[in-house]
Amino acid sequence: MLTDPQDHLAHQFPLEGELRPTFSGLSDFLHRVEDMIVKELAKNAKSHAFDGFDVNWEDQNETVSCKHRLQHLVAQEKGLHVTSISWSCTGSVIACAFGRVDDGDWSAEKSCVCTWNLDRRGLNPKRPNTVIDVARPVMSLSFHPTSPSLIAGGLYSGEVVVWDTNRTQDPVLAQTGMSTDAHREPVYQVAWVPGQRRGEMLVLSAGSGGRVLLWTVDGGSLVLSAGYALVRQQVPHNSSLSKGRGSSNVGVTSLALSPWDSDTFLVGSEGGLVLKCSFSAQELAAAPPDGESVALRAPAQFSFSPRGGPVHSLHYSPFHRNLFVSVGTDGLARLHSLLQPDPLLSLRVSDSYLFGVRWSPTRPLVFAAATGQGLVQIFDLGRKSLRPAATMDQLTSGQPAYCMEFNPCQTDLLAVGNADGSVNIWHLSTELTEQGHRETAQLEQLANEVAE
Amino acid sequence: MAEVEETLKRIQSQKGVQGIIIVNAEGIPIKTTLDNSSTVQYAGLIHQLVMKARSTVRDIDPQNDLTFLRIRSKKNEIMIAPESCVEIL
Repeated sequence: MLTDPQDHLAHQFPLEGELRPTFSGLSDFLHRVEDMIVKELAKNAKSHAFDGFDVNWEDQNETVSCKHRLQHLVAQEKGLHVTSISWSCTGSVIACAFGRVDDGDWSAEKSCVCTWNLDRRGLNPKRPNTVIDVARPVMSLSFHPTSPSLIAGGLYSGEVVVWDTNRTQDPVLAQTGMSTDAHREPVYQVAWVPGQRRGEMLVLSAGSGGRVLLWTVDGGSLVLSAGYALVRQQVPHNSSLSKGRGSSNVGVTSLALSPWDSDTFLVGSEGGLVLKCSFSAQELAAAPPDGESVALRAPAQFSFSPRGGPVHSLHYSPFHRNLFVSVGTDGLARLHSLLQPDPLLSLRVSDSYLFGVRWSPTRPLVFAAATGQGLVQIFDLGRKSLRPAATMDQLTSGQPAYCMEFNPCQTDLLAVGNADGSVNIWHLSTELTEQGHRETAQLEQLANEVAE
Repeated sequence: MAEVEETLKRIQSQKGVQGIIIVNAEGIPIKTTLDNSSTVQYAGLIHQLVMKARSTVRDIDPQNDLTFLRIRSKKNEIMIAPESCVEIL
């Protein structure tokens, strides 16, 4: 907004782009240049001068290669799986959580969280830079978005912990403990969300008990700030599911935060539900109170068509506000629009379970899916064929690949965590990382198709 | 003035135009069809580039002057029609 120091008569605030009397030459200027501009624009629209012309500023990387294979021998000996991985905000450090994905019973197995700094010289893939011992298996992990030393983790016991890797003595900065507020079931997802106050970050945790909880770091403990409970009877449009037996809680197996709308989030459940939820939902949850200090609310607003099995992973497209992809045990990757219940596209990725899915941070039409056979399949929706653009074998002798994350800074690096306790860092080819002509437009077209 | 708005509308309606920014001699945006933050960003960056391009042309031949500048990138193209502010004596 511009203020004109000489014009004392301006009572109203100048609106964006409003003409000031002092720029009377503006009209003449436009008069002079208009014809030239319009002529150039018209020539541009018809020009073939740049057809097929490409400039390569960087070295082309033709192949996909495995840069590092990180392992923590102690964890591997115990047969622990990598349950979750997270990159630090600087992109130099990768943290992995060890636990077990297949355990049915209450596990009291000791496990750990390891970090490797990939940018440090003398990186030893078999020796992590930091090892944090944890009394219970860790099911989910998330680095703080701005503080490179803080990591939040969700445990099998339902506890949520925040570690500070800068602390030498005891890395635990804050934890929920076993209070009445805490989850009673494994916490499958943790994330950092912005709080009400500027610069404040809350820890979000979601678990198979059907609870999505928001915690503030207060001294040495995590204090419950807000909470949501997903109850079957309160799930919208679901007459078929209300006949279900068993617990009325909707166990959360995956959660995705929207990069476009800070109020919305998606939840995937054990029963195959995919729900759109809102942080600002007001309706109280129909769950019996269990001594929680905060009234739990019902967040679900919209139900997408359910899947035949637990939804293991969800991810919002970083390039289109209405698109997301979901994967589960049915081996399909489903591309959804937020605006309709049925998927836009259903891709058969594998005959086995799918455990993770992530959109490429640089190519709007590309996403990767991690399979139960230990492969990561990369799909390019711009290609005519629906076969994968690349397949990366995690070399786990057929054991599943459980989690994947793209490096937020070096976007051609993809980390994959596996059931054999290893984390592979892959360097993707330029073809898979450089955005092509009109990709965003193609994605837009895809998003606007109405499902049959 | 209506005439200015009309002209801008005509240009904006051409095929492929994403937005128009008009900048004064100091590089301050005075009219724009884009959002504030993009406008400020473009104005600041482009002004320096235009000055450099202009001095390049005039250093090679002092009788010459910059008439048009186009920056073509992978995703789009920026077209700049500069205004000469020098009095010819």
